[in-house]
Amino acid sequence: MSAEAIHDAKSYSGVSGMQHEEPLLFEHAHEQATSINLPGVHGEIPAELSPFMRASAAGIPGLSEGEAVRHFVRLSQWNHSIETGFYPLGSCTMKYNPRVNEQAVRLPGLAHLHPDQPEDTVQGALQLLYELQEWLGEISGLPHVTLQPAAGAHGELVGIMMIRAWHDMRGDIKRRTVLVPDSAHGTNPASAALAGMNTVELKSGDNGRIDLDVLKAHLNDEVAALMLTNPNTTGMFESDIAEICRLVHDAGGLVYGDGANLNALVGVARPGDMGIDCLHINVHKTFSTPHGGGGPGAGPVAVNDKLAAFLPLPCLEKDGDSIRIIHHNDHSIGNVFGSIGQTGVLLRAAAYIAAFGRQHLHRIAEDAVLNANYMLARLKDAYHVPFPGLCKHECLLTDEWQERHGVKTLDIAKRLIDLGFHPMTVYFPLIVHGAMLIEPTESESRATIDRFCNAMLEIAKACAAGDTELLHQAPLMPIRRRLDETLAARKPVLVWPG
Amino acid sequence: MRFLPHTDTDRHAMLERIGADNIRDLFSDIPSEFHLQAGSLNLPDALHEAGIMRKFTQAAEANRHAGNTRCFLGGGTYHHFIPAVVDYVISRGEFLTAYTPYQPEIAQGTLQTLFEFQTMIARLLGMEVANASMYDAATGVTEAALMARRITRRKKVLTTTSVNSRYRDVTRNYLSRLDGEFAEIVCAGFATDLDAVIAAMDNSTACVIVQYPDFYGSIYDLQPLRDACDASGALMVVAFSDATSFGLISPPGDFGADMVVGSGQALGIPMGFGGPHIGLFACRQKHVRQMPGRVCGMTEDRDGKRGFVLTLSTREQHIRREKATSNICSNQGLMCTANATYLSLMGDAGLATIARHSAAALATLIHDLPEGVETAKGPRLHETVLSFADQDTRERFLKLARDNNIFAGIPLEQFEPARTPRHLLVATTEMTEAADISDYLLALKEACHVC
Amino acid sequence: MTIPTDLKYTREHEWVRQEGDTATLGISDHAQEALGDIVFVELPEIGRVVAPGDAFAVVESVKAVSDIYAPVGGEIIEVNAELESTPEKVNTDPYGAGWIAKVKTSGGSVELLDEAEYTTFLEE
Repeated sequence: MSAEAIHDAKSYSGVSGMQHEEPLLFEHAHEQATSINLPGVHGEIPAELSPFMRASAAGIPGLSEGEAVRHFVRLSQWNHSIETGFYPLGSCTMKYNPRVNEQAVRLPGLAHLHPDQPEDTVQGALQLLYELQEWLGEISGLPHVTLQPAAGAHGELVGIMMIRAWHDMRGDIKRRTVLVPDSAHGTNPASAALAGMNTVELKSGDNGRIDLDVLKAHLNDEVAALMLTNPNTTGMFESDIAEICRLVHDAGGLVYGDGANLNALVGVARPGDMGIDCLHINVHKTFSTPHGGGGPGAGPVAVNDKLAAFLPLPCLEKDGDSIRIIHHNDHSIGNVFGSIGQTGVLLRAAAYIAAFGRQHLHRIAEDAVLNANYMLARLKDAYHVPFPGLCKHECLLTDEWQERHGVKTLDIAKRLIDLGFHPMTVYFPLIVHGAMLIEPTESESRATIDRFCNAMLEIAKACAAGDTELLHQAPLMPIRRRLDETLAARKPVLVWPG
Repeated sequence: MRFLPHTDTDRHAMLERIGADNIRDLFSDIPSEFHLQAGSLNLPDALHEAGIMRKFTQAAEANRHAGNTRCFLGGGTYHHFIPAVVDYVISRGEFLTAYTPYQPEIAQGTLQTLFEFQTMIARLLGMEVANASMYDAATGVTEAALMARRITRRKKVLTTTSVNSRYRDVTRNYLSRLDGEFAEIVCAGFATDLDAVIAAMDNSTACVIVQYPDFYGSIYDLQPLRDACDASGALMVVAFSDATSFGLISPPGDFGADMVVGSGQALGIPMGFGGPHIGLFACRQKHVRQMPGRVCGMTEDRDGKRGFVLTLSTREQHIRREKATSNICSNQGLMCTANATYLSLMGDAGLATIARHSAAALATLIHDLPEGVETAKGPRLHETVLSFADQDTRERFLKLARDNNIFAGIPLEQFEPARTPRHLLVATTEMTEAADISDYLLALKEACHVC
Repeated sequence: MTIPTDLKYTREHEWVRQEGDTATLGISDHAQEALGDIVFVELPEIGRVVAPGDAFAVVESVKAVSDIYAPVGGEIIEVNAELESTPEKVNTDPYGAGWIAKVKTSGGSVELLDEAEYTTFLEE
């Protein structure tokens, strides 16, 4: 089928293959109706409220229950998701999200707890959370843990605040520089800046790893920390990790670990053993909590003895058989979130770790790394590999060989959609031109991975044959084709004007 | 292991393709001294699915929860009714297990939902635009303060103690690491002293943060603050803790607020022992390029069909790095879907009813307070402070109430440690039934020895 | 790609047109092409005094942000407000309707290249 024929088959309005168009809520014919029955006291409200009443309704459409369900179910069907198919986004760890975790956190005795209930009425929840703290400490090799940060970037901020507090307590108040490799996630420099630090970028070596000479040249008595992702964002392990940590420590700094890539190490090796002082853990990556279309996540931070006194508040402490919520502590960096944390997310992570347990946890990293290296082996003759060698849980390719035929990473990504796969992470890390970062995770079967590799090989073959029209047109199959991001950014329309 | 699909045959075949003898060879780039022996971590034995449910059920049953008690707790988290449809929609794998919508062609479901969410939140708060969420109200207020500093290029942030102490704690904490001042005007009673706040403003003030209704539940005229902001050039930031209120009363946007931030937990999200909730963030269109967090915008595809994308991303960390407007990446995406679903079921009429029922419940309770128990004065919807003669009376009441399956309120010192321990923060919602109020009052009377 | 002969250029790809003590500033054709579709220009405040080499404006495309550095020092006396609603003028007419700001020069500049030197610089 030619590109045009496929396109024509999809372009008439309404339905193609039961793929439904769905208007905005505001365009449903009889907005303002609502059929909801509500409980409560049907009494009078005080007369003194009358000067404060809304002058006019807000304009929130109220649909009947059936209409609302159909609206959102139809919208859901326009999404790709892990439950729909393969989702090999590098650096995102899109693994299967177990359904039992969803069931567990919806138990009324966990879902309907008020955060300010008396402590003795929430001991069941606190025990689960405390246990998770202990487990994360054991897995990371950094025994002191806060569950409070709401996401990975929030964890980074907390970690850098703690590192700053450690230096300040020692009277070393000129340490305000944080070294960040140029391959790092953008959150690293942004978080350091928010903690009041200056960031200095470290240029990666030719092998995509930290260049020890570059690191040495930047170490001085103003350096508070190095922020390090290991394996780094090219998917490679920083094998000099012990030396890197030693250099930073000798220069009086601490080493912050970005745990976004912990899936490569979980159960196999521990960042704390390598010299990392402080690590955030993206439970929505390594520990399977659902990404929800952008969140919520949770970013617990684990630290060694040096930083234990600075953990944020409130924190959990064991007191005999019960767990207490501690609100005051002399050296803590203080409050960074409105509650003890994103409990519902954290409990899912606890259920996931409990399922693997001592016996199986290492198999997460093993199968994840096996899958990534298998993909690399299958694809390395068809795509340029910027940093050859073993990869960890993700592999990095570029479009260098396809660009000669006028095909870019973006085209490859969009063509994958037509072939039935979510694209990999594109154009990240920034240090590689035309980057394609592929992370299969341990959840995927050999058959799925083979199908994806076959699709990638088919694309490379089409490029080599100069058969690139479908690549430039792609995607043709989904409900929408390439969207005009320039228009969206030039004249931002962020709410429905109707 | 049920979450791992490979058989050993698969693993062998794959290793052969790679050219490795065994899986641990794939980790040879990690120095051997760091390799753990399989199974050596101090973790419990693996649990099968039934075991996980048993463990969690036991833990859940050790708690007392709002489903089997009468909950009069508020302070930023409220036990509102949640239609079953909300949890159904956010349980759908297509919403639940999708990533951030970076490939818009195959994420239009999330994106259109975000656009609807932004629209409804902006309308509810009386504002021009809203973003696609912050972590929670406390971090949202903090981000508003930072945004005001960027816009005004001034460094002083002014607030008052009638703003939820947790919002202030987080804001104070973030700002303490940056250059500039954070001033908190003390409200002696249980209402906002707007005159004192206004008197503290000067031409170095980047913004004034108040809460509406305030932390103690009071409603007051925001217009003088708008006028004072116009005079001084400071931005007006209004926090809130229960978004259902604005189904009934005028939202802060109607008073000309520059930013409105608060919690969306009341809109279809369970209390969940502190999270995940959602921070709502709304501002004026002219300030969108200084806004933190992700935002969804409308555009067209190649065929001219309407579609949605994440936009204005140059503000964000993945492009602007250390100069980004915020470090936020993951937000509360699924909670936006919960809010949008909830709002579409309620509509204007449902929201107004919820606010009415919540307020009627509190009015009924206050009307019959026994002698010896004072309530904060002034217009309010569904939250107030009850003051007892002494701590003993309060504790006696809390115990009596608990014995009768009532969580009667939050000791105010849990938020404000300096308060004498004789106050309770009390909230009602549409989940409060007439019988709950009668039982509450009975316990109160008994505690005060008046029955 | 065009490189007018009557302008001076910087190694950061700004151009400057000096007329008396007023200098008009913008970005070169090469710069606009490298950035792609411009979606927003953050203009400086009128009255602000900039030193040569100071970042005085920001140009944004969908996925990139670029600081614009002042080739010459002085006080900002005028900005191209048209760019607030039509930033694409930087793409379509970088040396004309896409100008960014005018400066009343008060001495000093970064190293400026003429058309031939800038052409050579780009070729390198």
